[in-house]
Amino acid sequence: MVYITSWDEFVERSAQLFRADPDSTRYVMKYRHCDGKLVLKVTDDKECLKFKTDQAQDAKKMEKLNNIFFTLMSRGPDADVSEVTGKEQTEAQPGKKGRGRKQ
Amino acid sequence: MVLLQPDPFLNELTSMFEHSTEKGTVWVTLKRSSLKSKVQRNKMAAAGEPLEYRCLIRATNGKKTISTSVGPKDHQRFQASYATILKAHMTSLKKRERKDKKKVPGADKKEGGSKKPKRA
Repeated sequence: MVYITSWDEFVERSAQLFRADPDSTRYVMKYRHCDGKLVLKVTDDKECLKFKTDQAQDAKKMEKLNNIFFTLMSRGPDADVSEVTGKEQTEAQPGKKGRGRKQ
Repeated sequence: MVLLQPDPFLNELTSMFEHSTEKGTVWVTLKRSSLKSKVQRNKMAAAGEPLEYRCLIRATNGKKTISTSVGPKDHQRFQASYATILKAHMTSLKKRERKDKKKVPGADKKEGGSKKPKRA
């Protein structure tokens, strides 16, 4: 199984995988409270990407990934995936982030 | 496989998490689906009708499976509730309290205090 160590790489490749084949790509999350482990899997039945963690901070990152997938899946692969922090779409709303208000 | 409305699904998901704290796993799968058979899809494509896609969400604890489908209109509300449930239940994950900076305190001081002794 392909375990990816970098979170950003996992997100990037999962989004690519989904856009390439939206009908067969699925996102699976497995959580074991007794072991304190979380495993994420994205596969299109040809290629499989996995990410495992036991860190609470990754759970927060996973929530953002959930949002991405929800948007992509319900609206379509060409949907505007603007994350909460605006990672993918840096063009939109540059004024909100940054030090000092220059408006 | 029990197909539910989004809200009852969320309630069942919550109880699944609660029941599997001592032992057991919760799996949640997200997949895009139009919920129509291949025949219907081909017909619709031929007729030129746009296919309506929904997000299919399935959850299981190994014994019981529940599912729901979420469309573009309700997906934001669902995703907010879903995130809340996850945050509330994923409490056994470790919190990273160690800061990496603490490991090398000497290096920072050296870098900051490096003044060139030779000044012509």
